[in-house]
Amino acid sequence: MKKLNLTKDQIQKLALSSMGFVVLLYVYFSFFLGPLNKSRDSMLATIDDLQRKVAGSKNEMMKATNLEQAAGAATTRFAALKALSPEGAPIAWFPPRMKIFFANQQIDKTTARLENSSPFREPELANWMRYTWSLDLPQTDFATTGKAIAVLENSEPLLSITHLNLHAVADDPQFQQVSLTAMTAIVKR
Amino acid sequence: MALHLNLLHEEISQQRQRQRDPLKIGMMVLGAIGTLMILYYMWNAYKTLEIRNRFSAIQHDWSKVEPKVTSAQKRSAELNGIISTIKVLDGMIDSRFYWAPFLEKLSRCVALNAQVTSVDGTVLEDNKGVSVMIEGLAAGREPRAAAEELRQLLLEQLGQSYREVKVEFKTLEDLDTLVKIGGDNMAMARFGLSVTFTTAPSTAKAAPAPAPERVRAPKP
Repeated sequence: MKKLNLTKDQIQKLALSSMGFVVLLYVYFSFFLGPLNKSRDSMLATIDDLQRKVAGSKNEMMKATNLEQAAGAATTRFAALKALSPEGAPIAWFPPRMKIFFANQQIDKTTARLENSSPFREPELANWMRYTWSLDLPQTDFATTGKAIAVLENSEPLLSITHLNLHAVADDPQFQQVSLTAMTAIVKR
Repeated sequence: MALHLNLLHEEISQQRQRQRDPLKIGMMVLGAIGTLMILYYMWNAYKTLEIRNRFSAIQHDWSKVEPKVTSAQKRSAELNGIISTIKVLDGMIDSRFYWAPFLEKLSRCVALNAQVTSVDGTVLEDNKGVSVMIEGLAAGREPRAAAEELRQLLLEQLGQSYREVKVEFKTLEDLDTLVKIGGDNMAMARFGLSVTFTTAPSTAKAAPAPAPERVRAPKP
């Protein structure tokens, strides 16, 4: 094998060439090929992601359509229950509504007072508030009260009577006094 | 054999020396490698451009679909919210206690010789049960028996619709006062009944208004 005899000058030149080669490799990979590959990889990842989203979107829209059909009854019912809470503060509309209701049931002089209001514990009812009312029917009779309560319970599904007190009026034996504590669920406005 | 004299020996040697110059050879190798690298880079750049075109096309597709998907997702979330709210509200509506059927049953239990003067009822926490205090008067030759008859009737009637029905006397005392029923003087007794029960969901439905015929206005 032929021995390579290199002079000092040649060795220097070889070292210089090697350094140049290393620099070239560094520049090539760091500033040209590296960023290009990086950008390509990120684009490929985004393409995968978008393709998955586009494929999933069909399912998503189909699910929404199916849900819309399935929830038809629920949305109608929800709208009906929501419609039971008119705009405005409940203290403004609930007492007059009760007064009119009981007047229609031949019970006059009804008064309704707000006892308290509090949010529901259930997270599903975050947009609803619980109102407790005190209803006083100072002059009525048992049968009329019973009928009125039956109509009230059937016409106000979100109202539940938690306490009922019915007693005879001392001065007027033909009448009874009734006081009710009712809880209602009302949409926050 | 002819004699060849190399008179340019030194020049030839120098030329060979120049040709074997490592820097020159290195530069040539570098150039070759550089060319290969550039070609590889261009190939990669071409591939990347192709991918970029695909990317733009998919992004365009997605931008067309995205608003629909977003609104569908929003609507789904809204509908799921409505469904879960309705479930909770329906649970509340179904579990509430209807007083009208109870009052109707009470009115049917009160006989002509008994009179209810006070009803005080409370629905216990979370609609788990109902507690009612009934006070009244009973009249008859055996007024205590009349009160007991009312208690038994209440127990029987309420037991048909509710569970764990308990009807107990809290007070039962004879009164000195006499009352005239059908022309006869009758003794009177005052009673206090404690009624407790839990509601059975299947039977606790709103009923028509109570029948008024057996209800009598209580005396003060």
